[in-house]
Amino acid sequence: MLSRTANGLFWMSRSVERMENVARLLDAGRRMESLPQPDGAKATEWGSIVIASGCRTTFPAPLDTASRANVPLHLAFDDTNPSAIRSCARAARENARAMRTALTSELWDAVNLTWTDIRHRDPHETLQGRAFTDFLDWVKSRGALIRGQIDATLLRDEGYAFIELGKWIERADATARLLDVKYHVLLPHSSDVGGGLDYLQWLQLLRAANSATAYRHLYRRNIDPEGVIDLLVRNPRSPRSLATGTQGICGALGAIGAHTAAQRATHTHAQTLRDQTAGTRVADIINQGLHEWLTDFIGALNTLAIEIGDAYGFDGHTVEPTEAVAE
Amino acid sequence: MYDEMYDGAKTRNEYKIIADWIAREGIEALLTKQDEAETLFRRIGITFAVYGEGGDPDRLIPFDMIPRVFGPTEWDRIERGSIQRADALNAFLRDIYGPREMIRAGKIPEQMILNNEAYEPVVQGYTPPLGIYSHVVGVDLVRVSADEMYVLEDNCRTPSGVSYVLQNREVMSRMFPELFESNMIRPVDGYGDMLAEAMQAVAPPMCEGEPTLALLTPGHFNSAYFEHSFLADQMGIELVEGGDLFVDNNRVYMRTTQGPERVDVIYRRIDDAFLDPKVFRPDSMLGVPGLIDAMKAGGVSIVNAPGAGVADDKAIYTYVPEMIRFYLGEEPILPNVPTWRCADTEDLKYVLSHLDELVVKEVHGSGGYGMLIGPSATRDEIAAYAERVKADPDGFIAQPTLSLSTAPVLTENGLAPRHVDLRPFVISGKSTRLIPSGLTRVALREGSLVVNSSQGGGVKDTWVLNTEAPDA
Repeated sequence: MLSRTANGLFWMSRSVERMENVARLLDAGRRMESLPQPDGAKATEWGSIVIASGCRTTFPAPLDTASRANVPLHLAFDDTNPSAIRSCARAARENARAMRTALTSELWDAVNLTWTDIRHRDPHETLQGRAFTDFLDWVKSRGALIRGQIDATLLRDEGYAFIELGKWIERADATARLLDVKYHVLLPHSSDVGGGLDYLQWLQLLRAANSATAYRHLYRRNIDPEGVIDLLVRNPRSPRSLATGTQGICGALGAIGAHTAAQRATHTHAQTLRDQTAGTRVADIINQGLHEWLTDFIGALNTLAIEIGDAYGFDGHTVEPTEAVAE
Repeated sequence: MYDEMYDGAKTRNEYKIIADWIAREGIEALLTKQDEAETLFRRIGITFAVYGEGGDPDRLIPFDMIPRVFGPTEWDRIERGSIQRADALNAFLRDIYGPREMIRAGKIPEQMILNNEAYEPVVQGYTPPLGIYSHVVGVDLVRVSADEMYVLEDNCRTPSGVSYVLQNREVMSRMFPELFESNMIRPVDGYGDMLAEAMQAVAPPMCEGEPTLALLTPGHFNSAYFEHSFLADQMGIELVEGGDLFVDNNRVYMRTTQGPERVDVIYRRIDDAFLDPKVFRPDSMLGVPGLIDAMKAGGVSIVNAPGAGVADDKAIYTYVPEMIRFYLGEEPILPNVPTWRCADTEDLKYVLSHLDELVVKEVHGSGGYGMLIGPSATRDEIAAYAERVKADPDGFIAQPTLSLSTAPVLTENGLAPRHVDLRPFVISGKSTRLIPSGLTRVALREGSLVVNSSQGGGVKDTWVLNTEAPDA
């Protein structure tokens, strides 16, 4: 398969996953915003959403002015923000269009119609009141539809494996970022740790990850940080945990196969990351500090993604030097 | 004026199937099927992209459902005439980039070649495998009477439109399968195989074993991208962009997820100027550095070869009948339209005093732009055009306004005659061949002579019958 095709499928898939995850983050912000605040406390949830989405550099205003009025707009409709929901829908569609012959018409329709629908939406109308939650639900359902078409109509070939690879890398990244939101949402007083507000914030995070009910099924106790970390980091039964994500990456790489030394090396690195993630104890994470641990994980995942791209020849923007020697 | 379907009130024999079908279906019913056809085209994805005009960039070329039909005898002449023309054009290219015998024989002025923008000095002395430069030639034909067909122009670079030929047939046979049950209509399915076979036949000298083929496209923003991906699919070969390829030691490789894979024959759908930034436009992002050197060293074959365009501009066109005599020792089966070369003083004088009855074209123009249609132009337009011709006589040719044949199209008010032309696609490999069909373009605006899709042209399914239709 052409490296460019692998690149297109990989980024189509990542864009769809990111589109959906940004919607989840906005949902988390919306839920936390509605929590009761003690008098005089400064709301920090929207700023934390900007940080968690990785959009700190594109956000056009100082972070302490982040609010319901400017964050959803930037994360959903700001065309200068490549991670905005609309930008992701466009990127997914452009990649799909360039790879049109590698897709089924059902999958193409799902990706194409997502873009044609969102491109004409009025941002202010869409983000207002009740329409906002409907919009977030719509984005998640489009993500689900596209994944469904991938699952139901696509040949299980190398192209499919690159789509899976993109999905799992993006999802692991998103779950780590979602968990990190909790670090950035400040509690008014240090004594509030373990208190009612703390509990409610953890609960909203789980809800944004569609995992609140699963938590009760799996742990049969009230929500606490140890449980949430275990579920979203280590638990292989969660569809969004880091363990599941890194296992998914290894599975996709296995389906793609390793043909060169560089490719074999990335497979080993992916397995190392998977084993480390699944083998970490919650107590270790808390001792290191959740934020510090997540920062390391996000960095390692990013390094792995770049390494994989290099090994399979889809660095995207670098052009092979003219006198390049074939391997 | 010659009508393809009707001879006065009488339906021509080869159109009997069509007349019966229209009578059976009824105009109203056919009109409602037009929407269905459009949906099918969109679903298959046959669009051409127009950027910068706002709205949805994916446009459909208008499709008229009434097929155009040729009997076997008239087709035989078109087939032989097109093959003859392609053979002569390739012989000419071989000569121009080689010994230049036609120039030495005084049959064509050397300046016509050397001053031609499409002449590529870097190709001089390079002889491609089998001596073929233009593996796909589009021959644009018009008809003025039952026995008179003229060649309007040749397309030796990267003629486009063949995907419509195949897809128009696909849509017609899906919508009206009963039309094809008569087994009278020759199939068009062989195009992909025919082209792939020709590409295999011109494998470069360095290639051992089965050559690997690829189609080089400028990318999905190109207006003809659909055709590129469709043809790659038909041939079962990779669709590559310039960035997917690199040259090492005069061989060309694709970057794949399994490492570099060699490519031996490239069907390129990008212009010469963008092919190789080391040789042509240095700013080209679409091409492959080192490609031309690799070609000259025998490491890769390029279809159509760079420099083939020198055979198809409107000034060279006037010499094609002479090429046929000179290289093949034959008389042209399909004649040229009589043409005045404004570069010639006598011709120029005639053209300037008859502008109101002539069609004047830019020698390097294409797409139907920049031409003057004398009979329908205003006096001011003619005066302005005369100034342009006087300023650069070498840049223009003129032809009589031909009374192009018409074929019926489906309109809200029933059938109505519209002007048509025909572009068969001639493929040269071990032999020179074409599929029994071509692209029929139709000027959908009443009275219009311009069939280009960029200016309101549409297309029709084009049939060749396998036996002569009996007299009624």
